[in-house]
Amino acid sequence: MADDVRSMTAELVRDPTSLVFLRLGEVLRAEGQVDAARKVALTGLERNPNLADAHDLYARILVDASELDYAQRVWESVLQIDPRHQGAHKGLGFLHYSRGDLDTALDHLELAVAADPTNQNVVQALQAVRDVADSLTAEEPVDAFAGFEGQDRGILLVDSQGRALAGRVMTGEGHDGTDAVAAHLVGVTQEMVRTARMLKLGDWQWLVVEGTDGNAHLTAPSGDSLLFVVRGRDVPAGRLALLADHAGDAARTWLAAQRP
Amino acid sequence: MTRMYAVDPWVEKPLEAFVVEAGARLALLMTPAGQVIAQYGFTRAVDVMAAAALGAAIVASTGEIAKLLDEPTFSVLNHQGKRHGILLAGFDTPRGRMVCLAVYGPDSTPGLVQLFFEEFSRDVRDACPETEAPKQVLAADFERELNESLSALFRT
Amino acid sequence: MSDRFKGILDAITRVRGVRGAMIVVWQDGLIVSDSLMEGVRGNAVAALTSSVTKYAESVMLASGIGRLQFLHLQASNGVLLVVATGSETLVVAIAEPSVNVGLVRLELIRAAEAVK
Repeated sequence: MADDVRSMTAELVRDPTSLVFLRLGEVLRAEGQVDAARKVALTGLERNPNLADAHDLYARILVDASELDYAQRVWESVLQIDPRHQGAHKGLGFLHYSRGDLDTALDHLELAVAADPTNQNVVQALQAVRDVADSLTAEEPVDAFAGFEGQDRGILLVDSQGRALAGRVMTGEGHDGTDAVAAHLVGVTQEMVRTARMLKLGDWQWLVVEGTDGNAHLTAPSGDSLLFVVRGRDVPAGRLALLADHAGDAARTWLAAQRP
Repeated sequence: MTRMYAVDPWVEKPLEAFVVEAGARLALLMTPAGQVIAQYGFTRAVDVMAAAALGAAIVASTGEIAKLLDEPTFSVLNHQGKRHGILLAGFDTPRGRMVCLAVYGPDSTPGLVQLFFEEFSRDVRDACPETEAPKQVLAADFERELNESLSALFRT
Repeated sequence: MSDRFKGILDAITRVRGVRGAMIVVWQDGLIVSDSLMEGVRGNAVAALTSSVTKYAESVMLASGIGRLQFLHLQASNGVLLVVATGSETLVVAIAEPSVNVGLVRLELIRAAEAVK
């Protein structure tokens, strides 16, 4: 391997325009020499800014360096150069899968397979993600808030009788507060309805509360459901309202899909 | 199963609304002499009898204190204990003065009970059919009338 | 209304769109002091605000976000804004739906500081 690196480096010195940097970067990556691989990829990119494979190599190096958001942007730029680039679709599939966004991961992996159906690595990756998605669907209903930040700790959809429908609320101490919150939400809503009626405020639209340890937003995405979004004190009320708005859209879509 | 009984049916709806909205656990509507008109939540006749007699006594004694102080009659008394609160309040109707005794728990507040008492007294006034002024209740009649109303209240 | 509370509440009611402000005993739902436009039922605002904030705080405690500091109930024809003073009272404003909530919130917080 060291000989390979030496010979490819020598070739690159002889001919800086050579595309051998792609193989050299890949070998250095495989050896765990991330910094060296990054230098080779960036040098190659300077000479070949429109070479999709060079960006793809750089994105994979960024993943090795745990710079996932940056890697995503690089792969997205690859798709602007070549919308069918298999490496970019495969990479994006991996990134979305690692974030739990299985739908988007599957979209990219299917496009990766379509680009080259003979690549067994990509076919196997697609099958593996499909298996995970199928097992989740079989075990529990599709999460209404998949892909939402805080979906597993700070978003809760309940029915009008105080039963949890989707999402979860975890307290700061790590306790699952879902059932208790779901039960209390009905009481607070009934009291809001009465308050709004008796004070002639009209129909209630939302409730925002700020507490000593966090903020919360309550709305009714449909006539028979309530949506509660909880965040820390660092998320101001305005941003919380936006989050709740988006979560409300997701909840309505999910509720519509649940109805026969 | 309903826990409400009323001598006169027109009082049922306002009383039901009051106990639901105010979160009252027990409620008694009576005349200042202790004659029971309707009750909610009591399960034994003896408790109604005792509550009516004590409520009437409190209304009478605070009325006398008001007179001594040259004040108009006290309209609302509100006591809050650790586990229960008590509201005792009088109001005028076309059939004369009536008194409401309500017991509420920690899930309600003096403010809520007073707020919905105001609505209740207005609803009772509106629903109350106008008749001749109530006759003076004599001591001799009191026990018989109380027993009659208790029989009606518990359908015995 | 005492002069002390009058000044505090007037600062809130001076905000355009505010229909009334009051200081309420949280546990009892009774008014300590109020400054209300005609037609606003003070005793109803006090009793219902006390109740709705208690319910809201039970949800907050269950979800681990602590004690109530501020509540904003938005409705089609008006808003209810509440700040807990931290000493058994609430400062409450009732306002038009288009009121500058941020400004009222600031005045309520100022009032709460002065009341406690």
